[in-house]
Amino acid sequence: MADHKNLPHHFLLSLSLLSILAVSQPDRTKDLVSLRSSSESGVIRLKNDTVSKFITSVPTPRPYSLIIFFNSIDLNSKTLQELRAEFGFASSSFLANNNNRSDVANKLFFCEIDSSDSEAFHLFAVQSLPAMCLVDPLMENPQDQEVKIDEYDFDGTAESVAEFVERRTNFTVGPINRPPLLSKPQISVIAALLVISTPFLIRKVLKGETFLHDTRVWLYGAVLVYFFSVSGIMHNIIKSVPMFFRDEEDSNKLVFFYEGPGYQLWGEGLSVGFLYNLVGLLLAYVTSALVRVRNVNEQRVVMMLAMAISLLAVKKVVYLDNWKTGYQIQTYWPSSWH
Amino acid sequence: MAAAESSPPPPVTSTAMRNAFGTVLSALILLLIGVLAFSIRLFSVIKYESVIHEFDPYFNYRVTQFLSKNGIYEFWNWFDDRTWYPLGRVIGGTVYPGLTLTAGTIWWVLNAINIPLSVETICVFTAPVFSVFASWATYLLTKEVKGSGAGLAAAALLAMVPSYISRSVAGSYDNEAVAIFALIFTFYLYIKTLNTGSLFYATLNAIAYFYMVCSWGGYTFIINLIPMHVLLCIVTGRYSPRLYIAYAPLVVLGTLLAALVPVVGFNAVLTSEHFASFLVFIIIHVVALVYYIKGILTPKMFKVAVTLVVSIGLVVCLIVVAVLVALVASSPTGGWSGRSLSLLDPTYASKYIPIIASVSEHQPPTWPSYFMDINVLAFLVPAGIIACFSPLSDASSFVVLYIVMSVYFSGVMVRLMLVLAPAACIMSGIALSQAFDVFTGSIKYQLSSKSKDDAENNTSTNNSSKDDASSGKADKGEEVAKERSSKKGKKKEREPSEKPSVKSKILKKKAQVLPLEASIVALLLLIMLGSFYVIHCVWAAAEAYSAPSIVLTSQSHDGLHVFDDFRESYAWLSHNTDVDDKVASWWDYGYQTTAMANRTVIVDNNTWNNTHIATVGTAMSSPEKAAWEIFNSLDVKYVLVVFGGVIGYPSDDINKFLWMVRIGGGVFPHIKEADYLRDGQYRIDSEATPTMLNCLMYKLCYYRFVETDGKGYDRVRRTEIGKKHFKLTHFEEVFTSHHWMVRIYKLKPQKNRIRGKAKKLKLKTSSGSSSKSAKRNPWM
Repeated sequence: MADHKNLPHHFLLSLSLLSILAVSQPDRTKDLVSLRSSSESGVIRLKNDTVSKFITSVPTPRPYSLIIFFNSIDLNSKTLQELRAEFGFASSSFLANNNNRSDVANKLFFCEIDSSDSEAFHLFAVQSLPAMCLVDPLMENPQDQEVKIDEYDFDGTAESVAEFVERRTNFTVGPINRPPLLSKPQISVIAALLVISTPFLIRKVLKGETFLHDTRVWLYGAVLVYFFSVSGIMHNIIKSVPMFFRDEEDSNKLVFFYEGPGYQLWGEGLSVGFLYNLVGLLLAYVTSALVRVRNVNEQRVVMMLAMAISLLAVKKVVYLDNWKTGYQIQTYWPSSWH
Repeated sequence: MAAAESSPPPPVTSTAMRNAFGTVLSALILLLIGVLAFSIRLFSVIKYESVIHEFDPYFNYRVTQFLSKNGIYEFWNWFDDRTWYPLGRVIGGTVYPGLTLTAGTIWWVLNAINIPLSVETICVFTAPVFSVFASWATYLLTKEVKGSGAGLAAAALLAMVPSYISRSVAGSYDNEAVAIFALIFTFYLYIKTLNTGSLFYATLNAIAYFYMVCSWGGYTFIINLIPMHVLLCIVTGRYSPRLYIAYAPLVVLGTLLAALVPVVGFNAVLTSEHFASFLVFIIIHVVALVYYIKGILTPKMFKVAVTLVVSIGLVVCLIVVAVLVALVASSPTGGWSGRSLSLLDPTYASKYIPIIASVSEHQPPTWPSYFMDINVLAFLVPAGIIACFSPLSDASSFVVLYIVMSVYFSGVMVRLMLVLAPAACIMSGIALSQAFDVFTGSIKYQLSSKSKDDAENNTSTNNSSKDDASSGKADKGEEVAKERSSKKGKKKEREPSEKPSVKSKILKKKAQVLPLEASIVALLLLIMLGSFYVIHCVWAAAEAYSAPSIVLTSQSHDGLHVFDDFRESYAWLSHNTDVDDKVASWWDYGYQTTAMANRTVIVDNNTWNNTHIATVGTAMSSPEKAAWEIFNSLDVKYVLVVFGGVIGYPSDDINKFLWMVRIGGGVFPHIKEADYLRDGQYRIDSEATPTMLNCLMYKLCYYRFVETDGKGYDRVRRTEIGKKHFKLTHFEEVFTSHHWMVRIYKLKPQKNRIRGKAKKLKLKTSSGSSSKSAKRNPWM
């Protein structure tokens, strides 16, 4: 229709269009507002028919902008739903922050299109998810890549959605309000329970009856924390490493040990952590439990077994360490000994 | 170590003799441990020379020099205008002064008694000397927990634990060098107070804590660990007046003293890191009150009173908690610093603070890190933990808590392995000592009973009963001694760990022995394990942790090469430039430039002003003209770049360049990382982007590089560079070090405005053969 670059012409045309459509357009805005008020967190679900009603069949300039999130419930992807939730926060924050300014609140609508509405979905030529796009009042061709939000712009948080909206339109979303982890009544109930139970707890503590007074709990806890730390589980969690790799050449072969000191897999961390602990626990068993055993032969067998296992474990760890780090420890014997 | 204890229970008269012998032997062993701890850290001096290492130590050295020259008051008020030009930096209020004051005092004392050592020598050897103190402090601490045998073992282990060596070799003049000693000594005094209930030790404890606060930001570990232990004791019903004396003075005096340190100041009461101690301070008072009332009331009355007291105490607690919560909530990040937060929630940093997540020493370690840094101690610690639980005392519960917390934190941040190391040594010392005790005891008992069997073959039954009797006598003797000492009042619990060990030995005499040959094999295995530890530690000290990184060496087939380019260049700067000239470089070299060249720098390793660093990063990433303008606006005269392409030194500026782009782009958005990458890859060969090939860093590093080998082959990136022949328009080369590692350029003076002199970019006309003559400055 109108050439974007020819602004005066475009302006005139839009003026005339505005006057023609002056009757129908407020109704559309009103429809959108009512749809929004009926939806959770103010995100309007667009279907095949509503897409054409609000976007394609409305002549430009439309009196509103739409920001559309492309969703797929069937995909059942957790990250996608997290992104969708963040999108919802941006929407509800926009509504809350512009509550009493209908001139702003009724110009921008947060929408979503599900992949089950395939017609609407394909209209925007969405190739991959997650995807979002901004339908500004002048947008003509939904397939235009201009309207898509770059991956650089969207890092998955509601803040980045808000930032994008603020950059591309004149609207301000304002600070994002996320719902607190626990709602207010829940917090007050928990606080009340805590306050009520505290005297009983204190009485128990004073009497020394809690499980905390059992030293065995502390012992197991301490050894467990030690095990978790030396096996590098924190590293595994933070870097979210896999349990094992598949060998690149032979997909049936599994790689449990990664060569190179800066990275490890779950399998190797746990197994070496186990070896670390095994030796110490065997030593503790021999020196504090086995000494009480009366049967000398039993002591002898268990000790020999324990020592053999420990020796193997230490040798294995030393071997693995040398292999993984590539270090070779020198002994610095006098040169005449070689 | 167990040898002193494993002789048969002597008659009371010879006890004193035996104790004296044990003391002398212990003192001798401790002395040897000290020699070991000191000498194992001298590899860096022997292999290189007596020189200060790396980056931060140079700053500390410079501060120490200032202190020794100008005195403490000048130091306290020192505003340094040689750095962060034109902003400057208030040194006195932003450093932990412990290390500097320590070395300054040592220098002053030595000079006062006419031992004229230079400040640099003092600085180089401060860390090894303090590691000697640290191993002695470990002995004291472990002795309080499990007796002197364990103490000696732990001290010997700590003297050479690689993790600690990495921060305390000669020349590594950094805060951790003295802080680890302060940490262990504070823990020792806490345990000592807990065992004795003496206010004297409590006061010393607060002073030791003060020294720790002066020395290192890691003091927050102490002020959270001790309250946790106190809380643990209260919760598990181990409250005692000794606990109160150990804790309350520490909080009151310690907080007051900590607030005296300028860099901490009111943070000692305002930030969340310290709130745990105040909360526990309140709780311990409530508990103390409850115990007091329990003592003066009849059980019936007490039940009535307990309701009253508990409710009042609860109200007070709630109010305080509310105040604390309000305080925490009112500050951004909840009053916690990013680093502390990333300790509590390990995934926090990777999500929200890339600058913390990016630093390599803040990465979570993998299992080989533990093997590298604490080696076989990783095997022994579980045994030590279990030994601490049989029986569990106040002191042993503290070391268990210490190891649990520190091992968790080390799992989050590899840097905190340093805090884990002493705990691991203590635990392993306890484990080793117990194992030696059991094995040597078994061997000794069976050898002696065998010889007795040989002597009086038939009376073996009598023997055991006699043994029982004699041990009973010894027990009685111990009891008498105990009673006597308990009359002396507070000293009764001075060495509680000694008694159980004697008692358990007597019990063991009766039944707890292991088979002779198995014990001998086990002993041999333990000794082998210990030898492996020693070999590993010596290797780590000699090979891994002794490089000063200011002087580099490389061993090749034709002998040893020494690269001393850094000092060569800093000396050039100090001799050939004006004293007020400003030198720009990436922040890594800021401390060294101020300390060694005595020239003003724009940014340094104290990265407190991100914008300023981003400005330098932007200049390095910009084309020549834009960079010249930025540098000129900062009054910069010289630009220093570090380049490893000739000799293959990997940590040079080209490898750090992407960080400059990122940090620069973070503040100045026209610098975009994508412009410097070809398909997401960082490259400097012919495929590199034009932005990359035209940025200042590329030009300053590779200017005339092609003259070295004719091809322009970069030995770090292992590729031929993309743009080989070019001229500099706004900078001129003034100095390139022997191995091309450091290159210094001077900003050309601003050109007179002459009409008609066209822009000159005649790159293609000049060929490689004549580039030496083409070097002439077209501006002058």
